[in-house]
Amino acid sequence: MRAEFDVIIIGGGITGAGTARDCALRGLRVLLVERHDIATGATGRNHGLLHSGARYAVTDRESAAECIKENMILKNIARHCVDDTSGLFITLPEDDLDYQAVFVKSCLAAGIKAEVIDPKEAIRMEPSVNPSLIGAVKVPDGSVDPFRLCASNVLDAKLHGAKVLVYSEVTEFIKDGDTVRGVKVLDHRTGEVSEYYAPVTVNAGGIWGHRLAGMAGVNVGMFPAKGSLLIFAHRVNNVVINRCRKPANADILVPGDTVCIIGTTSTRVPYEECDNMAATPAEVDLLLTEGAKLAPGLAHTRILRAYAGVRPLVSADNDPSGRNISRGIVLLDHEERDGVKGFITITGGKLMTYRLMAQMASDAVCRKLRINADCITARTPLPGSRPGGLEKVARKIWEVPTTVQKAVVGRVGTRAATLSPEDDYAGSLVCECEEVPVSEVDAAIERMDVHNLVDLRRRTRVGMGTCQGELCACRAAGRMAQASGCTAKARADLKSFINERWKGMYPVGWGDTLRESAYTQWVYSEVLGLNGKI
Amino acid sequence: MKFDVILIGGGLSSLVCGIRLQKAGRRCLMVSAGQNALHFSSGAFGLLGSLPDGTAVQYPLEAIPSLPAGHPYAKIGVGKIAEYAAMAPGFFESCGVHLVAAAAAADPVLRSVRNGFRFTATGTMKPAWLAMSEVAFFPTEEALRDSDGVPVESALIVNFAGFLDFNARFIAEGLEKNGIRCRLETVRIDDVERLRKNPSEMRSVNIARVMTREQNWKGFAYQVKELMKGEDMVVLPEVFGLGGELIPQWLSEMIPAKVTYVGTMPPSVCGIRTQMRLKEAFESAGGTFLLGDEVLDPEVEDGRVLCVRTSNLGSMRLVADSYVLASGNLFGNGLTAAPGEFREPVFGLDVDYPQDRSDWYDPDFFAKQNYIGVGVKTDGAFHPYIAGRVVENLYVAGSEVGGCNSLAEGSGAGVAIMTAFKVADGILGRQEPANA
Amino acid sequence: MQEKNLSSNNFEQCIKCTICTAYCPVVAVNPAYPGPKQGGPDGERLRLKNKYFFDENLKYCMNCKRCEVACPSGVKIADLIHSARRRYSVETPGLRDRVLAGTDFMGKAARPVAPLVNAVMSSKVVKDVLDVMMDIDRNRKFPKYKAKGFVSWFRKNAQAKQEGYSRQVAFFHGCSTEFQHPEVGQAFVKVMNAVGIGVQLLDEKCCGVAMVSNGLWAGAARHARHNVSVFKEAVAKGLPIVGVSSTCIFTMRDEYPDILEVDNSEVRDSITLVERYLFELVDSGQVKLVFKKDYRARIAYHIPCHMEKLGWSLFTKALVQMIPGVSLTVLDSSCCGMAGTYGFKKENYKYSQAIGEHLFGQIKALSPDFVCCECETCKWQIEMSTGRTVLNPIVILADALDVDATIAANAAPAAAAAPAAADAIDG
Repeated sequence: MRAEFDVIIIGGGITGAGTARDCALRGLRVLLVERHDIATGATGRNHGLLHSGARYAVTDRESAAECIKENMILKNIARHCVDDTSGLFITLPEDDLDYQAVFVKSCLAAGIKAEVIDPKEAIRMEPSVNPSLIGAVKVPDGSVDPFRLCASNVLDAKLHGAKVLVYSEVTEFIKDGDTVRGVKVLDHRTGEVSEYYAPVTVNAGGIWGHRLAGMAGVNVGMFPAKGSLLIFAHRVNNVVINRCRKPANADILVPGDTVCIIGTTSTRVPYEECDNMAATPAEVDLLLTEGAKLAPGLAHTRILRAYAGVRPLVSADNDPSGRNISRGIVLLDHEERDGVKGFITITGGKLMTYRLMAQMASDAVCRKLRINADCITARTPLPGSRPGGLEKVARKIWEVPTTVQKAVVGRVGTRAATLSPEDDYAGSLVCECEEVPVSEVDAAIERMDVHNLVDLRRRTRVGMGTCQGELCACRAAGRMAQASGCTAKARADLKSFINERWKGMYPVGWGDTLRESAYTQWVYSEVLGLNGKI
Repeated sequence: MKFDVILIGGGLSSLVCGIRLQKAGRRCLMVSAGQNALHFSSGAFGLLGSLPDGTAVQYPLEAIPSLPAGHPYAKIGVGKIAEYAAMAPGFFESCGVHLVAAAAAADPVLRSVRNGFRFTATGTMKPAWLAMSEVAFFPTEEALRDSDGVPVESALIVNFAGFLDFNARFIAEGLEKNGIRCRLETVRIDDVERLRKNPSEMRSVNIARVMTREQNWKGFAYQVKELMKGEDMVVLPEVFGLGGELIPQWLSEMIPAKVTYVGTMPPSVCGIRTQMRLKEAFESAGGTFLLGDEVLDPEVEDGRVLCVRTSNLGSMRLVADSYVLASGNLFGNGLTAAPGEFREPVFGLDVDYPQDRSDWYDPDFFAKQNYIGVGVKTDGAFHPYIAGRVVENLYVAGSEVGGCNSLAEGSGAGVAIMTAFKVADGILGRQEPANA
Repeated sequence: MQEKNLSSNNFEQCIKCTICTAYCPVVAVNPAYPGPKQGGPDGERLRLKNKYFFDENLKYCMNCKRCEVACPSGVKIADLIHSARRRYSVETPGLRDRVLAGTDFMGKAARPVAPLVNAVMSSKVVKDVLDVMMDIDRNRKFPKYKAKGFVSWFRKNAQAKQEGYSRQVAFFHGCSTEFQHPEVGQAFVKVMNAVGIGVQLLDEKCCGVAMVSNGLWAGAARHARHNVSVFKEAVAKGLPIVGVSSTCIFTMRDEYPDILEVDNSEVRDSITLVERYLFELVDSGQVKLVFKKDYRARIAYHIPCHMEKLGWSLFTKALVQMIPGVSLTVLDSSCCGMAGTYGFKKENYKYSQAIGEHLFGQIKALSPDFVCCECETCKWQIEMSTGRTVLNPIVILADALDVDATIAANAAPAAAAAPAAADAIDG
């Protein structure tokens, strides 16, 4: 059987998800193929900073202008994914205060509202900020939950008819001469290989797009740059704190949901290592030292975990050395560039500009399909994103929302009306740190392409809190077992989930984090006997 | 204030040691900074489940001579371990804690202790030496038998509707692997339904508190009987008997099958009960127990502890002839870990740990983790050192003692009990004629 | 470089072991209460994200501190809960709560007409009215107000001779001694004087515990500041602050800084309970207690929650056990359910009684001559629910004391007894 689509999009990161949604909203028949889960690559491994663009204002005005435009769009279409915290760019005594003037001027030129404020005012606005600051600029930064944003795009794409295949890897392009006709896809869960056809295939593979392009017979030069980050166990700050200087290591502290995140570092890594990124002890030390300069409280705040991602940087076409690396959006029509028809690559860019990237890619797809359809993603809210803050949305649904209901609203926005606990059973908490009830877990398992506990974590925050899965993993595995009916798989999955949590914990394995791990060890290995014989 | 012995820590090891000493006429003070690891007990005590290289152990005593010299068991010696092991069930019985052991012949001595198997909440088998009376504990790994030795063929697994901390499916799968047909059922009890109105407090211990009411456990037993279709075993979550073993016993009498209990996520009901019993035994023997207090500011001079203080008692000097440190490992804050080192926070004792932090961890969570095996350096009598100098009137017992990875070996409770006995003997031996 | 990853944010020390939930008296009976883990360290993270996550149901916390005593991680769970109430609660205390919290104000108002108030408060009609109009449960028995307070007794009968003693203490008598149980204060003066210690009164205000429970934060902090400044004067004169109610003493030592953010560091170590104070004197040989030869009593000791938190019950046990004719049974460590004003409230009455059920059963089964307990509100609850008399330990000691023999023993040079204990003790 031939499965026919208008467009095949490879890559379930935010770019692929956004492109799938955009194409689906334009009425195309869309197939989205992802070899792991959605948001597993760079999408899920960054700060979650809703850039105002200020960071790029001095060095890259084009990116900065894109950022502020998309910033304002996301605040409207993805309200439940965005926290409009505002941000500070602080100047410390060792920084050059003259840079502030250049910075503000560049921001204003890019359309970013940047306002110099008194350092004392900055301390009032964000009490955790380094009190020795000598300058502060207020900008419209915020935070965005990339998992939620990606999942919402996928969900909306599906609501508009898209087919989504996760744990499905493109193993081969089906080519007819110099035309890409479709892809062969290996379903990692069943081992089956299927063929899918479409007149246009979009490579949205991020850093892995390099290999995909190679498979299609074209060359896209990617330059993997690793960035490491640390997650702290609670919100130390409620306002994004940046250093007002040329972008450097560990100079952004972002409050995201119940935690805050310091990052990043930047190191070139060999392409082959992209699949196995982990923060090194030296990077952890650097992040801590530099981070404490932004907010001294970090020095005595519990670190939940360390992680690393790879930025999908693209070298300019005629710059094989990689010196001239752009962080801007790169759209390659391989027919024009390489003579390969029916294949385009969308890469570069940032989480912030995913929607714009998706729009550009979808426009290119439509041009190829000779379809005239406008992009409506800039004005169409994602599922769950309706006006009103947490409190307003919750009060609109329930007269007196419970804490659990409030927490659900905090994660899924207006969708909470359908996901929230109907009875005491559905209202029981699976994850106590993040207040995730059975109803939300079950709905994610049922409707959000959840195949294992790590997927579940990305959709719901189960296991993302202080205990890193100690209390909730076993409960969630029980729900998975009930849904799938496959207990052996659920048990193996439980082990791999605990292992996945451990991977981010041992690089910061001391203090309460190691104590938490020791406790988890005794509970899972000894009491629950997960390392015992069956 | 003056005592004969001050024990720091209120968990299994400290209590066993304190009870022995108090019963032998020593005036003991026990200081515990909060509750302890018995609260997440598996319901069974391991002596030695496997050797440091991972080889499974059937007869723990037989395996002890092959342990490395620094191992706490090696320091105590197999002869003493055998003696203590024989004594342990009676010791606990006298404290009101009834423990069951896998049957073994008394002779030869090295085979007088045999590992039985505890059936876990994820459907697996873990070797164990002694088990609390109600937990699912079987003499061998292969055959699950009822109390008359007849192999079990079918089991009914009953859970409270919507109780997430007891995973009946995992248990069923494990039993089915052992050839037992399983059926799952749930029951509802009004008082438990009321509890459920709180989204987070449907916990083992809260259910257990509700189930101490007669109407509730009786109602539960009736419902189970109704649900049975001739199964020879009924498996229940271990949430009965917070007040005592009687409720599980009564349930067994009312339900016409072998009734066994499988542990839930923490807290552990039978573990809490055991802790309560041991504490009562210690106090009724005349011991003083300070809960929620922390030992601070010890004075140590010339290799001797002169006194300690606590946060609640402030500047008051607490003086004793001997001191026992049994405040646990990381969980009990008996040890704390900083990026480059492990510390023992009360006395600053010398701690044994790998110098390179990367050796603390294995990337596989379920592999042997070296950080779990970190402990205080001690001599043969479990005296610790400060900067290389032995502290003569201070002893270390339980999981704070270095030299073994009790999680990997399945020796956590065993080390706690054996070091407690050994330290108590050491303290008594010092002050009494050898034959006392 | 981060030193320990041991957080200075106390709530982050929580490793989610759930032990606190096993010792919370409220979760087992009232499902509306979120519980210590959820309301404390878990809730704190959410509240830091958005204060909208504050849950008004935290008002069901009795502040018994059993979670903190049980916590193996040193998390100040109840403090987290009450600080959150202080910061975020938008519910304003109503008339009922203000009445219950105003222990000293109400006492002063009731005193001139005490017999009338007592009679009225015992009447069924009034109780029904209070129940309906004010949500004070109709089943609750009210402690009786005394027409003559402790202070006026002291001024008339005791004050004059206090200066004659070489050693002096400042006595924090507390509201219940003044208004309901002057005999406790009288017992205190009797015992102190017998061992040769003079008693001075302070210009004290109610410690504020009832105001903390009822959300009257500003008033509680005002009292705290007043008391601390009064204590500073006493401490400057070398006087320890000695009290008879475990709850007052606990509140003034720990709640002032932890919840009310009133600095008491200069005086905290001088604030003590009479049982500890007396024990230290006896144990160090500085004073002697001689008891009546014929005193006989079977006593059950209920350790109040705040006494558990103070960690000082060993002193009470030791002192009471010094009385030759006493057999003392320590009751299981459990909350009586009263928690100050908590049990008066209609919405809590049922839970209050359910919480105390185990304790009442144990007392009834044991049938002691009386119950010993340092807290007045536990006393009210236990007396109402079991019919047994509850006595403050200082009252027991005063009853059992052979006053003349004690005076004589302390008048004689104590030097002979001192050296034996001196090496062991040095307070």
